[in-house]
Amino acid sequence: MEALRENEAEEKEEEKKAFKIIVLGNNLRDCPIEFDWSSIDTSQLPASYKINSAKEKMMLHIAANFCRQYTHLCPDRKELFLHPLNECGVEKFVSTTVRPTLLPYPELYNWDGCARFVSDYLTMEPLPNPIEPPSCLFSPTTILKYQRGNCFDFSMLLCSLLIGVGYDAYCVYGYATREMCMMDETREVCPLLKKSKEAQKETVKEKTEKYAVKPPRDLRSKFELQQAAKKEAEIQVAKQKKQEEEEERIMEAEKPKPDSLYGLRVHAWVLILSGKREVPESFFIDPFTAKSYSTTDGHFLGIEALWNHVNYWVNMQSCLNGCKDLIFDLGNPLRWEFMLLGADKPLLLLPNEEEEEELADEDLDNLDKEEEEKGSDMPPSWVEPIQISLKEFETRCPQGKKVIHYKKAKLEKWAPYLNSNGLVERLTVFEDQDCTKVLEVRQWFKNREDLLEMRQVNKITEVTTEYFSPGHVLGLKAHVYKSTNPETERTMEFYNETRVDGLQKRVENACEMTEYFVGRSDFLYYRHTNFGKRTKRVDLFLWSNPRLAQIKECFHRNLEKPANEDVVERIFMISEERILLTYHLQENYITASKREFIKRADVDNKGNKIIMTPDMCLSYQVGSSQEDKKLIHLYKMMLKLMEEEKHLKHQVWESGTEVLEILKIREEEEGASKLTVSIYDTERNEKGKKQREAMERQMQEERQRQDEQDLDYLAPFIIQMGNIEKMTKWQALRLKEDCLTDFKYRLIDKANIIQVRFEKETQELQKKQQWYQQNQLSMTVEDEEAYITYCSDAMFRIRILEMRLNRHKETAPQKYIALEEKLCKDPRLSEYLKLYA
Amino acid sequence: MSRIYDTIEPNVIDQEMLQKAVEEQGPQEEAGQLAKREGIDFKDVTELQLDFRNILKIDNLWQFANLTKLQLDNNIIEKIEALGSLVHLVWLDLSFNNIETIEGLHALVKLQDLSLYNNRISKIENMDTLQELQIFSIGNNNLTSLENVAYLRKFSKLRTLNLAGNPLCDNEQYSMFIAAHLPDLVYLDFRLVDENTRELAEIKYQYAIDELKQGEAQALAKLEEEQAKQKELDYHKAAYVEYLNGPFLFESMYAEDAEANKLAYLPGIPDLLETYRNKFESVCEKLFAYGLEQYEKRQAEVSTFYKCLQEALAANQEQGTKIILEFENQNVGLLEVVQDTSSFDIAETKLAKYNDDIIQLSDTLMTLEMQTVDQLEEIIKDFERNIADLVSTFIENVQGMMAQCRDLENHHHEKLLEISINTLEKIVKSEFEEEIPDDVRMLFVDKDTIVNAVNASHDIHLLKIDNREDDIITKANSWQAAVIEEVHKNEMARNRSRVKEINQYKDHLQKELDNLESLEPVE
Repeated sequence: MEALRENEAEEKEEEKKAFKIIVLGNNLRDCPIEFDWSSIDTSQLPASYKINSAKEKMMLHIAANFCRQYTHLCPDRKELFLHPLNECGVEKFVSTTVRPTLLPYPELYNWDGCARFVSDYLTMEPLPNPIEPPSCLFSPTTILKYQRGNCFDFSMLLCSLLIGVGYDAYCVYGYATREMCMMDETREVCPLLKKSKEAQKETVKEKTEKYAVKPPRDLRSKFELQQAAKKEAEIQVAKQKKQEEEEERIMEAEKPKPDSLYGLRVHAWVLILSGKREVPESFFIDPFTAKSYSTTDGHFLGIEALWNHVNYWVNMQSCLNGCKDLIFDLGNPLRWEFMLLGADKPLLLLPNEEEEEELADEDLDNLDKEEEEKGSDMPPSWVEPIQISLKEFETRCPQGKKVIHYKKAKLEKWAPYLNSNGLVERLTVFEDQDCTKVLEVRQWFKNREDLLEMRQVNKITEVTTEYFSPGHVLGLKAHVYKSTNPETERTMEFYNETRVDGLQKRVENACEMTEYFVGRSDFLYYRHTNFGKRTKRVDLFLWSNPRLAQIKECFHRNLEKPANEDVVERIFMISEERILLTYHLQENYITASKREFIKRADVDNKGNKIIMTPDMCLSYQVGSSQEDKKLIHLYKMMLKLMEEEKHLKHQVWESGTEVLEILKIREEEEGASKLTVSIYDTERNEKGKKQREAMERQMQEERQRQDEQDLDYLAPFIIQMGNIEKMTKWQALRLKEDCLTDFKYRLIDKANIIQVRFEKETQELQKKQQWYQQNQLSMTVEDEEAYITYCSDAMFRIRILEMRLNRHKETAPQKYIALEEKLCKDPRLSEYLKLYA
Repeated sequence: MSRIYDTIEPNVIDQEMLQKAVEEQGPQEEAGQLAKREGIDFKDVTELQLDFRNILKIDNLWQFANLTKLQLDNNIIEKIEALGSLVHLVWLDLSFNNIETIEGLHALVKLQDLSLYNNRISKIENMDTLQELQIFSIGNNNLTSLENVAYLRKFSKLRTLNLAGNPLCDNEQYSMFIAAHLPDLVYLDFRLVDENTRELAEIKYQYAIDELKQGEAQALAKLEEEQAKQKELDYHKAAYVEYLNGPFLFESMYAEDAEANKLAYLPGIPDLLETYRNKFESVCEKLFAYGLEQYEKRQAEVSTFYKCLQEALAANQEQGTKIILEFENQNVGLLEVVQDTSSFDIAETKLAKYNDDIIQLSDTLMTLEMQTVDQLEEIIKDFERNIADLVSTFIENVQGMMAQCRDLENHHHEKLLEISINTLEKIVKSEFEEEIPDDVRMLFVDKDTIVNAVNASHDIHLLKIDNREDDIITKANSWQAAVIEEVHKNEMARNRSRVKEINQYKDHLQKELDNLESLEPVE
């Protein structure tokens, strides 16, 4: 308590100072309030927004009592933020303004998703008075509707969502730094620019094995080495010092101006306590930036109170050290003064894990139920359930656009499909603090038909890098270039898994092309083509390219061949008509076999055709004493190589055309910049929509047709009558009678037909039986069998007819009554008949 | 074609025929001229065609060691022979001959395609080793038994089979039987075996096939078991303690010992023998466990050594390659430059410098090699010492345990002697009441006989133990010698080949240089 008082004394002092500044401070908030909250339409809001229920009134009464006691006990402290006015001008207790809601979007199931959504969805408004909490607090639904709010509105919304998905979340009312309160991120490094720390784990185990060879003795002077090392170290130290100084200077320059209201600025944020949803440690979320901070972060300077949907706690701990010393055991009444006794408070110091887990599970299931159960203490929230439509959720930012300024960087965000080229995010990196000189621009795209994912333009080197998702034509993965003209410097990377030739990367400039391969069956991994001196611009990649000077290929070891026959590198010197082969190193050898073929003119000085002479092939064979292979083998090898050379030339030409093709495709795609729509996207998928509409229409038609097909009993009689508009009661009655008689006759006819058939069948059977009895003695076995089958068939038919007749007799009266009723209800007759009845 | 079959003169494969065939079938055109000028080695030939030559007897083909395809169709060959050296053969065509039995193919393990079409074969046999067989044509022969075809189940890779034209094809069950017994077959008699037939056949022959399968599985299991046993035994043998994990040694001691068997009839002896046996076996078990442990230890030692050696050599190789690469990069294009230079003096100095560089390179490499040799020598010495230590400890401990065995034997011997003498006394005093066989009673005529008998038994036992001990010790010692010798030999070979390589490389470079110099005056 002592410390608290000290703190308060200090605060008071500062407050005095601050009042002087407030006059000046007004021009600090130079952003004009573009939106007039007083003009919002509250007439459509439900009754719970406008009046207080008995429970709520009771609650307000308790709150007022609590407040009175509190001001009595702690007269030095600021007034509590307990029951601000809502948008309808009604006092509402803050806990009832929290409306835990679970939304149907998987992105909103985790705290970071929720926080990002809230920070994107709402536009930030500064508090009207930076050192006082706002006088009114609107419902989260209203805030969502107008997409703007101050830190309290942000926190309430975020808290509602987080409790909805099961976090142990609280709204915190306290003090923070200017940067935090004003959502000023210009001193923060953009999170997209932070380099992910590469876990450099060098697992070099220098195991000194038992039989390790000793290094040869070092014959250099030890003293000289020492001196050299010393010198080196000195230089290093000097360098480091200089660097440190430099860094310090920069830090100094970047330091923010001192804040005159430091420690007084009111802010609201969200606290998530550990325990539920497997949160290992309590932390803060700043609702403006969606960033999480540890509870000891220096940006947060103090806490007055915190609340969730069931209770309200006032901080009784000293905030001299900001929030560093605060302990969040809300069950301890010495540290946290609670308002409602009955509400179950989280006992953090004695966590009964099982119970808590159960609680967490239950929480998700029956949040609403729980709310009602606890209704005895805290009235249910007066706020309507939070609803966000899919479209609103996708659009996210107000008008689908949002700009954030970071340190030396600007980040712009757009909703997908807002920009016709699919742009969703753009990060501009500047060289200086004032953001004048652009260093680099990064753009992220979504849903593009050409699968472009990100484009990075370095404004200094003018190099553009484009990254593609898998699936682009020819497996393009990344494209680095200065200009899209052919024959300039560029690097293309490919998804080698999807390519037949296993090409991974192709680097080219005007006179060179290097290709890297992965996973080829011929073990090729590198091909370098040299185009020699450029002579003409035209016929660049012509088939028999005269400029083609040299092709070099490198291979991995093919373990199926002996090392001495496995080529590691072959160079086709096309302009010099030579082919150089180098083979893999054999085990324990330090020189590799080599072979050089020299293509000579085909005719010697006598005019004979030279096929092959020993000096056409210079070879160095490692480790084999026996003489070279026979000329015939060399000749075959050379023929094969020449064939390969031809093939290679073609390959190079193909590579060239492929580059041109890709460039052309890219140009077309860039020009068209179409966006794709997922077939699951019911909003945007035009085709699907049309199809669905067509289907619905068809169904509609079908239904109509069916309706029409329902027989109109009256139609034939109406035709007989002629004019039906002017029908008299008598006429209507006659119409009905006619119809009924007709139906009766039909029923009788039907019964008669069945009866006749029945009789006929019976007669025939009798006749047959007679005939059988007469001829019984002179009959063959087959005839007898035929007779028996006939009899059983006939009996079956008779039985069926009998059944049919009976059923008809039963149902006929019912049918008659049904028709009568129907006729009575018929719109054409009903009014007359009703009158008559 | 006016020749009549009877008048055909049978031929043999001779040098002339082969030479001609090779030339005809060898490379053509330019390559052919080249080949003609140089001559063709038979061992370079991979394919040979000897058809329609009236060959009666296969012969003289051993020179074609690398042959992969051989066609001997349309001859009058009667016996498959002299093909044993053509182990690389993949394709063998012996169709349209007069062969009566399948034989002489066991060495052709790589064979994939075998054609014996139109011969006089009546049984499929002697082909167990041809596990690679994929296509087998044995149509137009005298095969009569369908059951014989089941022999082909062995060939898991067989996909195509031709049996058409054999008497067995007349059997109406023919195609069903084949489809059921050769489930992996794809083509039979040039036709696809359709699924329908196969299913029907499977149902029809289900029991027979199941039985066959069971038999095969049992045979396989037995084979595997035997292999596992053999492997374990080999492992024990490598540790020099084979059969020591059981009563084998003890039993072998008594196997040739007739006296001991007789003495076993004496009262008290069986009990004594039993305890002796148990003790002896426990010592053997101990020895066995120790032997295996030591074996693992030795193997670990050797593998560590080789691992380190490999590492050292790899490092050395890397270093050497680096030096050479540096040299080559330094001098790349030098010769061309020299050739193009007009000034003779400059060229001369450059060449001289190059020459010096070559010598220097060779010196550097040699120094590196000397250094490596020193380093390796050191670790080899260490290794040698460690191995010697290991082996000597092993031998000592084995000797110790064997001494225990001997003590047990001595102890047993004393007891046995005592009992024997007691018995003798009893017999002499006619106090001995138990019935014993006559030949045993024969031993108890006087003291000398019985003592001699017991001693003889004892000697045999001791001899067995000694032999076993000697066996282990010699083996261990010879292993040590072999390991050390191998290491030395390898190192020597490595050193030689490296020195040779350096010299060769140096010569190669200098030759290049010389070529250039000799060219220059001409220009």
